[in-house]
Amino acid sequence: MPTLIRMPAVAAGATEVVLAEWPVGETDSFVAHQTYAVIETDKAVVDLEAEADGVLVRALVPAGAKVEVGDPIALVAAPGEQIDDVAAALAALGVTVAVEHELPVRREVTEVAAPPSAPRIAADGRRVFASPLARRLARDAGLRASDLVGTGPGGRVVRRDIELAIAARHSAPESSAPAPGPATAQEHGGITEVPHTRVRRAVASRLTRSKQERPHFYVSGSARVDRLLALRAEVEAATGIKVSLNDLVVRAVGRAHELVPELNVTWTDDAVIQHRRVDVGIAVATERGLMTPVVTDVTGRSLLDLSAATRDLATRAGDGGLRQHELEGGTVAVSNLGMFGVEEFSAIINPPHASILAVGAARQEPVVADGALEVGTVMRFVLSVDHRPVDGVAAGRWMQAFLRLVEHPAGMLA
Amino acid sequence: MNTEVPWTALAATDADWAEADPALLRAMYAQLVLIRTFEEQVLDLAGSGLVHGPAHSSIGQEGGAVGSILTLRSSDTVNGSHRGHHQFLAKALAHVHPLTGATPLDPRDKIESEVREVLHRTLAEICGLADGYCRGRGGSMHLKWQDAGAMGTNAIVGGGVPQALGFAWSHRQAATDDVSIAYFGDGAMNIGSVLESLNLAAAWKLPVCFFVENNQYAVATTVAESTAESRLSARGPGFGIPSWRVDGMDPLAVHLAMQEILEHVRSGAGPAILEADVYRYFHQNGPFPGSAFGYRDKAEERAWRDRDPIALTRRRLIELGLHTDAELTSYDEHVGAVLTEVAGVLVEPVPDGRPGQRRIRPSAWPNPGFVDVGVVGDLSELAGMTTVDKGTWSGELVETGFIDVVSEVMARRLATDRRIVVMGEDIHRLNGGTNGATRGLAAAYPDRVLGTPISENAFTGLAGGIALDGRYRPVVEFMFADFMWVAADQVFNQIGKARHMFGGDDAVPMVIRSKVAAGTGYGSQHSMDPTGVLAMSPGLRICAPTTPFDYIGMMNAALACDDPVVVLEHVDLYGTTGLVPVEDRDYQVEIGRASIRRPGTHLTVLTYLSMVDTALRAAQTLHDESGLDVEVVDLRWLDRHSLDWETIADSIRRTANVVIVEQGSSATSYGAWLAAEVQRRLFDWLDQPVQGVTGGLASPSISKVLEAAALAQEDDVTAALRAADPRVAHSVEKA
Repeated sequence: MPTLIRMPAVAAGATEVVLAEWPVGETDSFVAHQTYAVIETDKAVVDLEAEADGVLVRALVPAGAKVEVGDPIALVAAPGEQIDDVAAALAALGVTVAVEHELPVRREVTEVAAPPSAPRIAADGRRVFASPLARRLARDAGLRASDLVGTGPGGRVVRRDIELAIAARHSAPESSAPAPGPATAQEHGGITEVPHTRVRRAVASRLTRSKQERPHFYVSGSARVDRLLALRAEVEAATGIKVSLNDLVVRAVGRAHELVPELNVTWTDDAVIQHRRVDVGIAVATERGLMTPVVTDVTGRSLLDLSAATRDLATRAGDGGLRQHELEGGTVAVSNLGMFGVEEFSAIINPPHASILAVGAARQEPVVADGALEVGTVMRFVLSVDHRPVDGVAAGRWMQAFLRLVEHPAGMLA
Repeated sequence: MNTEVPWTALAATDADWAEADPALLRAMYAQLVLIRTFEEQVLDLAGSGLVHGPAHSSIGQEGGAVGSILTLRSSDTVNGSHRGHHQFLAKALAHVHPLTGATPLDPRDKIESEVREVLHRTLAEICGLADGYCRGRGGSMHLKWQDAGAMGTNAIVGGGVPQALGFAWSHRQAATDDVSIAYFGDGAMNIGSVLESLNLAAAWKLPVCFFVENNQYAVATTVAESTAESRLSARGPGFGIPSWRVDGMDPLAVHLAMQEILEHVRSGAGPAILEADVYRYFHQNGPFPGSAFGYRDKAEERAWRDRDPIALTRRRLIELGLHTDAELTSYDEHVGAVLTEVAGVLVEPVPDGRPGQRRIRPSAWPNPGFVDVGVVGDLSELAGMTTVDKGTWSGELVETGFIDVVSEVMARRLATDRRIVVMGEDIHRLNGGTNGATRGLAAAYPDRVLGTPISENAFTGLAGGIALDGRYRPVVEFMFADFMWVAADQVFNQIGKARHMFGGDDAVPMVIRSKVAAGTGYGSQHSMDPTGVLAMSPGLRICAPTTPFDYIGMMNAALACDDPVVVLEHVDLYGTTGLVPVEDRDYQVEIGRASIRRPGTHLTVLTYLSMVDTALRAAQTLHDESGLDVEVVDLRWLDRHSLDWETIADSIRRTANVVIVEQGSSATSYGAWLAAEVQRRLFDWLDQPVQGVTGGLASPSISKVLEAAALAQEDDVTAALRAADPRVAHSVEKA
């Protein structure tokens, strides 16, 4: 009965050994203690010595091959033993297939692409920083940390911010949310120190971030509004309801957005979001600070409805009665300082909007019409635009469309 | 000049063989063949990849082990090195079949069940299996069976030798004449722990025999390459130790030398060295000879094999007419069959595998869930003690100095518990050591308050040996925490790992008192806070008392605990005072209980040692300044097993803000580990990152100004607490 010789373990940890040499050829005889194979690891060269006399029937691996410890390396037989069918003898010993032994080869290493980056957290692409505790408290209270303004280091939303938001939600409309720290003015040394209110902080944070993150550019224009004023008077005469000049401007903005949809967008880190409906924020100065409630679907409503909705939002902004969702959304805002006689100004875009229209006063000015000088009522407009989603040409086309609508308000009705 | 002690070379003559007790020679042969055959079985399994890790064969070295151990009592102890199968088996076999018993081993007898069990459990341990003496955790290099007096083999060269001194000290202290034998190789003769141990054993006249198996090679490096005095036993006279040298290939010669040594050592005359020249037939590990690796030649190997101890003994037995050749051949075959059976219990053919292919039986492996069981004990040994805390103490209190209670509580324990033994540098002089912490103790208990040579590795290992022996409970003092590094092998590799490594059951009752001397101007090598590093060593408990009241109760708990406890004593606290019970020095402050030293609502401070007082002052400052309400938690027990997560979690859930305050270097910060654990456990309760105060990066310098700058000061803590004040609203610094 021939026997199998297996590759022994030479030293702890080595799982592969090289069969360096066969000093005894196939079918050659050997005697006890004769070296019949030489094996090699990185540390040792070992002579495999025969325990007894015998014959090397078959070397199962070539010299130079790497062999795993425990794999068969040779079939040997006793002196004089006749092996007629080597394959059958091997099969009987469980060696069925001639194993292809690996000679060392150079391996090609394929570069693996880095995994895609993690999705952003807030809807507007802004990463929201909130402490673990604040996240948990917000979750428990049904709030989103991304809706709040953080007052921790680096703008991190911390426990205090959640507690204030909860308190604000529960407080009656007329009572304003408690401000952090002592909110009363303190006078000393000839100056008065007025601690920040929550709204002041929120405005400061939001606008600072907007101006830092959004590359603003500006397009301005002026329009005769005599026809617009006449239209307003007609509506009032016909319905008995007062419609403000601002309501008409808002309507014109909505119509211009429909005509130039490149402006009806918001920016995220991954994509420009194209909106279909036009929602317009109205900047409202209140005693508590600047608020920007959003009038939805300004072109889908009747003018009277639009006017009523705007008035309702402005009133509630003044007494703290706005709900969070009424402060969210929109692609553009309208800010009007005309009532103070301001001719022209530029505004900072209110996130997440892509633009804001600054509206000046309606003033009587000399205008040239058909080559003759006459008196007309003129308003000046400055549109601040976020250059990330909107290019200058689009803003120019928008301003052109908007001015035409203001000068020819019948187009708003179409 | 002469050496003051004898240095003897001994050989066995024909007459010695003729005069030897036939029962001795028969048992000798029986053991030699059992061990050789066992080792061949190990190599066979190793060659099949069934021994994970190295199998350090002792084949060729059996004569030294059998010759020296055959006549030992079970209560004599041995320990050894990474190459220790032969000594372990010899001690275990002598335990189950003592030469003086009714049935000494005899080649004419069948192998009985006790021997089979020894072989089974030893082979199982070497293969890392559940039936092993250490449940498979120890393996080839950590074989321990304390009942047999086999105290543990060791994978650190020289690492077990200091512990042998501890076994010896315990033998003598218990008024026995038992001996301790430390086996180690020629390579270990040049390592510090062995040389320190030779000196300490001789200075204290300990009953220990240093048995050097000179097998000529430290792996592949020769003795002559390693030392200019290659006669290793020549070290002995330099330390005042009588020494013997013998041919280790002749088991009778070893036996005769050992009888002389046992007479010397048992008499109380102190230690001895026995150098036995032997030869490892194979390479460092595995089934191939050293010549295969090119550092020696086949002719040398043949010459040693020609002097094989088994062949020699066999020839002598036949010449003396004690056995026939056939009798011995029959015994050899019987042993071979027994070992095949023993291995067959542990391994089986691979199902559907190649013919002859074997594997470990799946049922033989330890359960993977056992991986971390028994790193430390369950503290059940403390159940009977009176547990109090300052808040619950109803008796009379009196203002007392911290340093006074340090010596008082130890005096009380020495008086009530004869197991306590205290040792360290200068602790018996200078009126209580360098700080007065052991005042009055040496005079009252001279045999248990021991001033040591400056040999931290040796005396810490000695104490570790005492703890492993279990009859006594040592207390070691490190004069400065930084000296721990000198004893690092003993503290971290040996004492910290012993319980787990040897199976998870063995108590290691010892206390290491370490002074923390930051701020005393002793500079870069005397000023560290070792807490962060100690906390990385599972198996050690860390005790950090900050008040005299706590010191008494916590030291009592540490001394009663069956785990090694490092008690940190900050020198800044030695000079403080506090209220302690008028009389009672026996109460215990529970292991695993932190103390809220100042309740608060805004911010939790986690701190320890001298920084507790610092944090309390900073908290008061901020309270006065702005009303900040800081809670200060004195952690007290700092290791991961004992840390009081209940108190910590409760505090952080209330305040949501945490600052970890420590004094020492940021590089070895304890807070770094603690912060990671706090955020892992309490992430959803945190309102800001875990904040921390540490010292600087480098070790404190000797210059007073630089030292102050290197250590966290009260101002640093105040600033950190102010910065972490959760009431402060921040403006947005950047988008």
